[in-house]
Amino acid sequence: MTLDMRMTRQLPATPEEVFDAYTDAEKQKVWFSILDEQPGIVEIEVDLRVGGQQTAVWGPSPDMLFRETQTFVEIDRPHRLVTESNGASPDGMTMTTRIEVTFEEKDGGTLMTVVQSGFPVPEVRDFFVGEVWAGAFARIEAFLAREGGTELADVE
Amino acid sequence: MVHQQVLDRVFASLADPTRRGILIRLGEGPATIGELAEPTGMSLTGMKKHVQVLEDAGLVVTEKVGRSRQCRLGVAPLDEAMAWIGFYQRLWARRLDGLDAYFTLQPGPKGQDS
Repeated sequence: MTLDMRMTRQLPATPEEVFDAYTDAEKQKVWFSILDEQPGIVEIEVDLRVGGQQTAVWGPSPDMLFRETQTFVEIDRPHRLVTESNGASPDGMTMTTRIEVTFEEKDGGTLMTVVQSGFPVPEVRDFFVGEVWAGAFARIEAFLAREGGTELADVE
Repeated sequence: MVHQQVLDRVFASLADPTRRGILIRLGEGPATIGELAEPTGMSLTGMKKHVQVLEDAGLVVTEKVGRSRQCRLGVAPLDEAMAWIGFYQRLWARRLDGLDAYFTLQPGPKGQDS
C-alpha cells in the first residue's frame, strides 16, 4: 500500500506562463523564495527534457539542507509534467515518489494540481491494514485534513 | 526508503504470535497489561516483556494509569511516510504560495520578468 498526496491551486496566469515559471530555473529561484525574508533556496539546476533532471537544494542553514532530484518522465507543455522524485533529508533519509503536475485553463487562469504518489507504508502492511489498523488511516486522513488544503488517498 | 532500524524492530517484534495477538487485541481498543494477560494465561511479568518489545518498536504506547499500565496501538511504522508527507505538504504549499505571489506581485504584464 502507498499513500498519495494531492494539492490544487488556482493561479492568475495562463497555463503556458505557469508551466514556464514552474520549470524555469531562474524563475524558480525568484518564486520559491519570494515570500521569504531570507533566501531559502541554495541552488537549483534544471535539464528540462525526458530523462533530464531538476535538482534543488534548500534549507535554513548549511547543515540543514534538503535535496530533491526530480527526473523528468513526461513533459507535455503546458498541460502536464510527470517526474520521479528522490528527496533526501539532512539526517540522510530518502524517499522516492512520483509527482504529476497538471495545468488546466480555468476561469481565465490556471488550475494547478499536484499529485505526489508512492509514499510507502512498510511491508508489514497486510497484517496491520488487514487486522490492526482499520482505523489508523482514518486518523491520518483527519490529521492531514486538519493541516489543511490537501487530500489523502490510500492506494493498493 | 524505509528507515531500516525501525523496520528491523517492527519485524522482530512481529515474529512472535503472542505479540501479534496483543496488537490485534489493542486494535479493538486500549487494554491494561492484566487484561492482555488474562485470556492468554500468561503471567503479568511475561506479558510485560512482550509489551516492552512492542513498545520499543513503536507499535504500542503505554501509560501508567493509577496502579495499571494502559496499552494502546502506536503508529511508528507509519511515522516515516507521515513525516515525508508532512514535509512535502509544507514544500508544495510554499511552492504554490510562491507561484501565486510571483504572478500576483509581478510588476508589468503578468508572468513576465520585469
